[in-house]
Amino acid sequence: MIVAGFNTACDGIAREMALLQLEQPAALLWSSATPTLVLPAALMRSPHVQEAAAQAERAGFPVVTRRSGGGIVPQGPGTLNLALVLPAPPGFQLEDGYRLICNSLAEALTRFDIRSTTGECARSFCDGTWNVLVEGRKLAGTAQRWRSSGSGPIVLAHAAILVTRPDAAHWSVMDQLHRAAFPGSAKLCCEAHVALTDLMGEGTNPESFSGALARAAEDRLSSLISREVKAA
Amino acid sequence: MATEIIIPSDLWEGDEESVITAWLADDGAQVKEGALIAEIMTAKVQHEISAPASGTLSIAKEQDAIVAKGYVIGTIE
Repeated sequence: MIVAGFNTACDGIAREMALLQLEQPAALLWSSATPTLVLPAALMRSPHVQEAAAQAERAGFPVVTRRSGGGIVPQGPGTLNLALVLPAPPGFQLEDGYRLICNSLAEALTRFDIRSTTGECARSFCDGTWNVLVEGRKLAGTAQRWRSSGSGPIVLAHAAILVTRPDAAHWSVMDQLHRAAFPGSAKLCCEAHVALTDLMGEGTNPESFSGALARAAEDRLSSLISREVKAA
Repeated sequence: MATEIIIPSDLWEGDEESVITAWLADDGAQVKEGALIAEIMTAKVQHEISAPASGTLSIAKEQDAIVAKGYVIGTIE
């Protein structure tokens, strides 16, 4: 497990892409110091999104792009990112990538007596079928990138986990960008989300969750790879 | 004979469609087998499509088109 702190989300995303290029199993836990908004590169083609991104920049929230699917994700000290890279075993499907990362999170949460589910969450950022939810509120969003290689696909599965909920200013700018990217969509709702600090209470150090998550993710990644080696 | 560029049919479980988010080579371009030529997105997954053969690329479905599993989005001749 690589644990890293970056100045910007750009650096974290670049590290993920570098690991993907290596085509070897890897796990990375990272966060960034600068509050930023991250969105899929494809969305940035829209002039409305470009305009909203410029407004976000002026409000002090730089917008950077990533090469995976989904919507806008808040990055900064309040977001912990888990990235898992692996060569796809035979028969591995997109859903297996989501199960890998969501189950890693679920296992880490159970160490703190927190039960999670997966599913959609209306009015949450970067919504999708594979959010990690606690009592129906979104704790983490997930996405993937599958890279082609001569030996088969290489999977990058990613989760953005809320350690703290974004503050009002971050939230407002994120909502503007969200609605520029997805015209007609409902306003994002802060209360649709929950953060680790909400769940763990003031007496618990979020760092201890990072440790539990690192162990759970590495165990699951190793287990998948060793099963593949045995099958071969 | 033309080689079809097909949206994989075994990549995900459901019948969800995907979007062609980018063509990374132009219509009529010469491409090499294995080169990255397109990206599709489904269920928040960005998936790279490589050229299945070397030759001249002919794009059948443009960027932002919504396509189903098994759909032919282009050919290489």
